[in-house]
Amino acid sequence: MLRSLAARAVVPVALTVTGFVVVCCVLLYSFIKQDMVNDAIQREVSLADTLIKSTRYTMLKADRETLRETIRNIGEQHGVEHVRIFNKKGLIMFSAEPSELDRLVDKKSEGCVECHDGPEPATALGPMERARGFTNERGEYVLAITAPIYNEAGCSLAACHEPAPEAQVLGTLDIGLSQGQLKRNLATLGWRMASFCLMVMILTVGGVMALLRRSVFLPIRELLTYAEGVAEGRAEREPPRGADEVERLGRFFHQIAERLHRHSRDEDKVPVEEKEKGDGTG
Amino acid sequence: MGKKKKKMQGAPQAAEVPVDRRGACRLRIRKLFVLSRRGLWGLGLFLLVSTGVVAGMRYMPPVPAGLRQVLGPSPPVNLISLALAVYAFSALVLILSRMMGGSGTYRGWSHLGYLSAFYLFYYYGNSLEESFWAVFAAGLTILGLEHYHIWTFASDAIRKEKEDLVQLERRDRFLSGEGP
Repeated sequence: MLRSLAARAVVPVALTVTGFVVVCCVLLYSFIKQDMVNDAIQREVSLADTLIKSTRYTMLKADRETLRETIRNIGEQHGVEHVRIFNKKGLIMFSAEPSELDRLVDKKSEGCVECHDGPEPATALGPMERARGFTNERGEYVLAITAPIYNEAGCSLAACHEPAPEAQVLGTLDIGLSQGQLKRNLATLGWRMASFCLMVMILTVGGVMALLRRSVFLPIRELLTYAEGVAEGRAEREPPRGADEVERLGRFFHQIAERLHRHSRDEDKVPVEEKEKGDGTG
Repeated sequence: MGKKKKKMQGAPQAAEVPVDRRGACRLRIRKLFVLSRRGLWGLGLFLLVSTGVVAGMRYMPPVPAGLRQVLGPSPPVNLISLALAVYAFSALVLILSRMMGGSGTYRGWSHLGYLSAFYLFYYYGNSLEESFWAVFAAGLTILGLEHYHIWTFASDAIRKEKEDLVQLERRDRFLSGEGP
């Protein structure tokens, strides 16, 4: 089957085009995925910064009740998986989940180890290093951001914290948002790309087959039928028409057939006695 | 009778050349069979390497910090992906041009090296999990086309060699007086 002209024409084209389109789609998918995840991280970083800025006055006033209420309300928002603020030692001071309060955060866990890896904890990280992704107990993918709450001039004046040079970072805000929608969008994108690849393959194979059938296979089949007829001694038919090369080949066949026909007719005309004489002398 | 005897005496001498040519023909057919299977070996090895990479993704530790310090930072993943797309495109064009030219050389081994290098680059750039399928698809396409090319080339050549062999055997039988 693979020796046929159709297979020889279609297999390399289909393999090359489909394979290359698949490679490009996979790369494009990973580019788009990376861009979407980066966008989500940037949005979350902005949200965390907005949250810190909006609670700054409450913190300066040492209004813990309002801060607790604000954190609880934010935690109730759709898509917010967790919001917590923990102090320098890693003790959770405020959280949307009351059961988490007064627990210590593991400094070696993901999201903390980026700053606490060395002997001295880092005080500033880029937005991408502050992000971490994990799957929660409900199987939902969560993207979390940790934003440091820096010690500013007003903070130490409120008598809650040490003066600025001693402690650069007073605590950390940790907020996690569900990325279920992002995952679903990526899955849809993946399916769309897979169907695009399938369509490209069908179009490539179908297009090449249709073109070849019309301009190559059918004329060749006609030529084959004509050549079979010539081989069996039927040269009355006109040679097939089609592509230039096929037409020329048909004309050549026709000429050969006519010549053979003429030759055999001439041979038939030679009288039997002459033939016998010729055989006897030879 | 004498004529026949002469013919029979001369037969081994006349058949000597075809026997050698037949041997050479059979040797060429054997070599072509080996060549036709080379593409499958390349594909099999690539699948083996890819299986190793999949297993490695789960169990292999990240690149040690010391080695990273020695080698320096990895190139951006987007650049590696761009290089993969350019490589796949040029490799496919080169294979197609060799198919058009009727060349019987197999270049799958070098492609196997390039593809493994792409796996290594992505591993070093901490992006192997996301980019594995791109390298895998590129490898399957390139080595698949390379296999198809070498297989069709070898099959055609084997068919021609077999036809030659049949003709040589017929000629040998004729010269040795065994008839057609």
